Amino acid sequence: MALLLRQRLLSSGLPRELLACTVSTTSRSFSVLNRPPPNYEGHVPLTRIEKAGLAVGSAVWSLIDPRRPDLIAALGEATATPYFIYRLRDAMLISPTGRRILRDRPRISSKTMSMTYLRSLPENTVGRTYADWLDREGVSPDTRDTVKYIDDEECAYVMQRYRECHDLYHALTGLPIFREGEVALKAFEFANTLLPMTGLSMFAVTTLKPAERKRFFQIYLPWAITNGVKSKEVINVYWEEQLERNVEELRSELGIEKPVDLRDIRRQERARRKAETEAKERSGDSLGIN
Amino acid sequence: MKPIARSIRTRQLGGYVCHSCTRNLRRSRRGYATTSQPSTLEIYDVVCVGGGPAGLSLLAALRANPITSPLKVALIESQSLDPTRKFSLPSTQYSNRCSSLTPKSVGFLQDIGAWEHVKRERVCGYKGMRVWDGVSGASIDFSPEIGGAATEGGVVAYMNENLNLTRALLGRLDELGGVEVLEGEKVTGIGFGNDTSTADLSSWPVVKTSGGRELAARLLVGADGGNSPVRTFAGIDSRGWDYGRVGVVATLQMEGEGWGCEEGKIAYQRFLPTGPVACLPLPGKFCTLVWSTTPDLAAKLKALSAEDFVSMVNAAFRLSVTDLKYLHDLPSGQEEEVSWRENHTPFEREHVPMKVVGVQEGSIASFPLKLRHADSYIGQRVALVGDAAHTVHPLAGQGLNQGQGDVESLANTIAYSVEHGMDIGVRMNLERYESERYAQNNMLMGVVDKLHKLYATENQLVVGVRSLGLRAVNSLDSVKGFFMRQASGRGEKFL
Ligand SMILES: Cc1cc2nc3c(=O)[nH]c(=O)nc-3n(C[C@H](O)[C@H](O)[C@H](O)COP(=O)(O)OP(=O)(O)OC[C@H]3O[C@@H](n4cnc5c(N)ncnc54)[C@H](O)[C@@H]3O)c2cc1C
Repeated sequence: MALLLRQRLLSSGLPRELLACTVSTTSRSFSVLNRPPPNYEGHVPLTRIEKAGLAVGSAVWSLIDPRRPDLIAALGEATATPYFIYRLRDAMLISPTGRRILRDRPRISSKTMSMTYLRSLPENTVGRTYADWLDREGVSPDTRDTVKYIDDEECAYVMQRYRECHDLYHALTGLPIFREGEVALKAFEFANTLLPMTGLSMFAVTTLKPAERKRFFQIYLPWAITNGVKSKEVINVYWEEQLERNVEELRSELGIEKPVDLRDIRRQERARRKAETEAKERSGDSLGIN
Repeated sequence: MKPIARSIRTRQLGGYVCHSCTRNLRRSRRGYATTSQPSTLEIYDVVCVGGGPAGLSLLAALRANPITSPLKVALIESQSLDPTRKFSLPSTQYSNRCSSLTPKSVGFLQDIGAWEHVKRERVCGYKGMRVWDGVSGASIDFSPEIGGAATEGGVVAYMNENLNLTRALLGRLDELGGVEVLEGEKVTGIGFGNDTSTADLSSWPVVKTSGGRELAARLLVGADGGNSPVRTFAGIDSRGWDYGRVGVVATLQMEGEGWGCEEGKIAYQRFLPTGPVACLPLPGKFCTLVWSTTPDLAAKLKALSAEDFVSMVNAAFRLSVTDLKYLHDLPSGQEEEVSWRENHTPFEREHVPMKVVGVQEGSIASFPLKLRHADSYIGQRVALVGDAAHTVHPLAGQGLNQGQGDVESLANTIAYSVEHGMDIGVRMNLERYESERYAQNNMLMGVVDKLHKLYATENQLVVGVRSLGLRAVNSLDSVKGFFMRQASGRGEKFL
């Protein structure tokens, strides 16, 4: 019996690691034995208990193994319902542009966003900044998982959209993808979208080096909170229509100030340290210690 | 005592005024010069100001009861009653002012012989109510099997056009005869009479009309609506507040006759943060809308094209509060927007009113909502009934029924006095009416007011708690039975 349940769960597409966390009992709406048909392509309906298991399991696993984007994605989906994803959807529904996005349901991938086109745009445009950022970070628009566990098909799209726009937020803010930048952006997203996963991901701050952590609390967290709260809902940006706009113009329209460039700071920091060491060495020389 | 006094020779006017007496009292004129025109003072037992549902049913009740029928009674109504007498619409049109009548009110109207005059094919009994929370979706279903609230037919309440009722009441009064009707005459002033050699009218209210007539009343009844001149005359304060809301009404046409109408029609009410919206069944494919909302949103609704208005009504029962907010701000184009949103909003088709497809031309109107309660329903030779005594939020559909309850109680009180030879106008003899009605109305108004306030918030905590409450009530048939009996006017009295 247990084996049978395992088989079914496996075929339902749950990450293998999480099987242990999903308790296979019946919940009120349906049981794992009579899983209802999917509400959209790729949808995996879960019972309430499975969802809770998924949340706990993916949270634990993603801390143990942070290089598992599928688990982080699963965590995001499991914690977004029942409240937060609706809040984000409502934020879209109350804005004319947000509604247009929900109607058109544009998807971002290398097919819909041609890199050649983006690179051909003048500097300081949104599209070019995005392309530069992708090139600089060595990533592509195709690296996003599809949403599976959110039951409402429209909310599933909202989650998908949020995920696909994530790199554009990076580009807009100029924050890099290594851990420090990611945590800073997550803090911004949390303040802006209130999605719990973005908040949870900030726990990764505990894994930062002391100097990084200090910088996070002194510079990036205050930046993230003030900008995330006071700026407009970034989920309502129709990026596909903004690619040719001046990036500064868009930032000021949204009310976002660009944070200090993290890579610059790091570079300066390294240069300073190097200079210090060199200076020390030089002073050692001049003292004729050798 | 026989309620008929042959003349009014007695100074104290102890007996009753015979309505067959044609002799009028000439006001005694002093020997010295007077500039005013000599006017005729007419004396009545009951003068009723206001020919709305409350006033007309009081007169019908008094005339229909052999104990009170000898009383000399008059009606003063500022509007012409002809449009009401002639009220007649084809079966495809309904007046936009409809009220639900509880089985108790209908029983009373039957007793006074008015119900037979109501065009029954224009009345729609309904057997169930579905009420739900627009923010959380928590719902409560009432059906007549619960709590034994309903009448034989299982009817919870009857939807009826106010005009169908007032027309029937006028018909019944014509049949009974004996009411002096002063229509199209406004009350221009109310004062006290004089103490003359023939009669002491110094404690009697004397009503002056725009037609130049003066009527002295043993008992003056104010059935004159929310701004009651009679209440003002009696110096009775009326307290309360405005909700800052208006009720938008309209006559709507649905796709079909309504869900499950083989078993009986259903009334729907959804609580939105701006106020409740209700769809109440009329015969055939028709229903009447009462949407309480802010004056600003009401103005926007009224400015929409018929198609967009209809879409907004459908949206009000189906779409999210967020969608409604957005749709309210669109100057036009609701129709298209709503049809898109319906595809993405989960709702149980048969748990909301059947789709509305049209709105009767010229039927969209709005009226301000307020809560008012007079400090007292009675004074010396004065009684207030209906809206003159109390105005309530329409969410429980109780306004008109409360008025019918008042009238029944007042008519009984008057009959009791007549039977026992007591003066019908003396305050002490009116106290029975006040004690029967005041506390009961006050309680109902309190509950309705609290409900309005409870549902006028989107605060998550409040929404959570009230939804829990609603779900809990929904699972308890005994509690539902209690509410059902209250709603159908057969509730237990607990005050
Ligand atoms: C505009 C409006 C729309 C409404 N729509 C609805 C609805 O759709 N559904 C619903 O359930 N309830 C509705 N109500 C409430 C409902 O109409 C009342 O509860 C009900 O009519 C009360 O009856 P009544 O006889 O006490 O008072 P009314 O019906 O107000 O009757 C009072 C009468 O007194 C007369 N009068 C007033 N002053 C004078 C004067 N100085 N001299 C002579 N006569 C005078 C008036 O002309 C009127 O005919 C509405 C109320 C208003 C004001």
